[in-house]
Amino acid sequence: MSVELKNIHFSYGQVKALRGVSLSLNKGATGLLGPNGAGKSTLLKVMLGFLPPDEGEGQILGYDLRTEQKLIRQQVGYMPEDECYIPGMDAVTFTSYLGELSGLPRQEAIKRAHEVLFYVGLGESRYRLIDTYSAGMRQRLKLAQALVHDPKILFLDEPTSNLDPTGRQEILELIGEIASSQEISVLICSHILADIELICDQVIIINQGQIAASGRIEDLRMINYQLYELKVKGEIEPFRQELAARGCRIEETEDRLVKIYTPPDFNSLEIFRAAARNRLQIRQFIRSQSSLEDLFARVVGVD
Amino acid sequence: MATIREKGYHHWEGRLKEKPRAFWPIIRTGIKLAFERRRFKLLFAFSFVPAVVYGVGVYVSERLEDFKFMAQGAEKTLQVNPNFFKSYLTLDIIYFMILLLMSLGGAGLMADDFKHKAVQLYFSRPLTKLDYLFGKAGVVMFFVGVLTLVPGILLLILKLLFSGSFNFFLNYPWLLLSIIFYSAFLMLFFAIFVLFCSSLSNNRNYAIAIMWSIYIFSDILGAILKGIFRSPYSSLLSIKANLGQVGAAFFLLKPPYDYPWYLSLLTLSLFSILAYVAINRKVRGVEVIR
Repeated sequence: MSVELKNIHFSYGQVKALRGVSLSLNKGATGLLGPNGAGKSTLLKVMLGFLPPDEGEGQILGYDLRTEQKLIRQQVGYMPEDECYIPGMDAVTFTSYLGELSGLPRQEAIKRAHEVLFYVGLGESRYRLIDTYSAGMRQRLKLAQALVHDPKILFLDEPTSNLDPTGRQEILELIGEIASSQEISVLICSHILADIELICDQVIIINQGQIAASGRIEDLRMINYQLYELKVKGEIEPFRQELAARGCRIEETEDRLVKIYTPPDFNSLEIFRAAARNRLQIRQFIRSQSSLEDLFARVVGVD
Repeated sequence: MATIREKGYHHWEGRLKEKPRAFWPIIRTGIKLAFERRRFKLLFAFSFVPAVVYGVGVYVSERLEDFKFMAQGAEKTLQVNPNFFKSYLTLDIIYFMILLLMSLGGAGLMADDFKHKAVQLYFSRPLTKLDYLFGKAGVVMFFVGVLTLVPGILLLILKLLFSGSFNFFLNYPWLLLSIIFYSAFLMLFFAIFVLFCSSLSNNRNYAIAIMWSIYIFSDILGAILKGIFRSPYSSLLSIKANLGQVGAAFFLLKPPYDYPWYLSLLTLSLFSILAYVAINRKVRGVEVIR
């Protein structure tokens, strides 16, 4: 187990940012999702050992959260969301410098810097001043500095922001490769749910300082709700009202496709019965694959 | 035989070590970055002019007979004694050069990190706040040491070499310690002063302006108040005057101002403590991860 947190509480003064967070992280890629102010950043800070929890305990790679923060940070690679760099340096100097600060011997740090810069696709421009880099190149550089000391866990905060579609695809492939074929756990914090869906097999959804859902994406989809897609003929409003009263969420797309999200214990026959009562003709009925976006909206309680 | 490796990510096969001097790469890189500026290199070379002049002074003082034609009446000025070393280390031009060098190589030490949000990169490493601050302070201390400690000791060695005996050293056995301790004091004070100014802004140009403003206006304010109140204690407001006063004490000489030297030491210490608290708060206040 890479990360094991038990009942973590943390408050900023009177504001409770984390309220009894318990989670475990295995090898592979895990997405960390949540609306703004949900406690994602605070959770990352706690896991990096910056904030000592008020309550609870935890271990990162077997190191205690409260007492072995330096050892944790030595084994963790962190890619911040912000565009951050040290001006006046070229990419090799920058990456090797941060590798050295992580505990690599100087010569090894330089060697590793070259390797990871080639890996993230900055090999040709590694001697250029970072100040002259484009936003996308800086994003790759942030990934390089997170990888330079060969961490056991990678925390990636919005890894695909500022990237064009091609760059985004390339970065996602790199992350996917790291997560799938290497012995590295990757925790990705992103607002782009499609990215998470593409490379993560697990997800943690945090809301109001609590874990709202966690587990394999496939499992969560099944547990939390079912999605049915219908094509109907007739007046939809009474049908909608009846199902909404029974805990379903109904959306209608522009091409008159009706999406019905039902609660976990809802019997799908009830949809037909409601349609019959409201004299609505069902012309198509498909049990559909729900997206992560749907899951997120459902768990967090937003449309 | 070299192995052919597959394209892709490779693990590092070594073992990460917890470094006891984690600040050392920060010092080394800070110095290296300063020297990458061409203007800094020129200024750095120029800042040794006072030391060279004093070195010539040491030589001439030992060869007064040879230089009689050009050093007439200069016997008193060219006396190499503790006052000679103190005067070098408390020269206005030395402080001026330190500030000038730090404008190019020190003002951005923290300001640039704040501006480019690099602080979080440092603290996501196994570094403590003290490692970070000591690393940054080390850069300033290096340059101040190069302008004070190194020439001070070299001048002493030159004096011994040119005089051809150890008499001077035996007459003033404490002089070496005075040079070392006063230089160390300057290194520490300027490190805190420069980092304080650098931490006050995210823009290195503002940090430079703050640095010069504090240094110059403290002196002007001291002079104005001295003019109004006719009290020597007004000079306690001047950084330059306080440094001179403390310098005299380190060299066991009469202080230039008519008040006890320890008041100057107290003033500078108080300023340094407050500056350190401010730096500490500023670094703590940085959001490591948003």
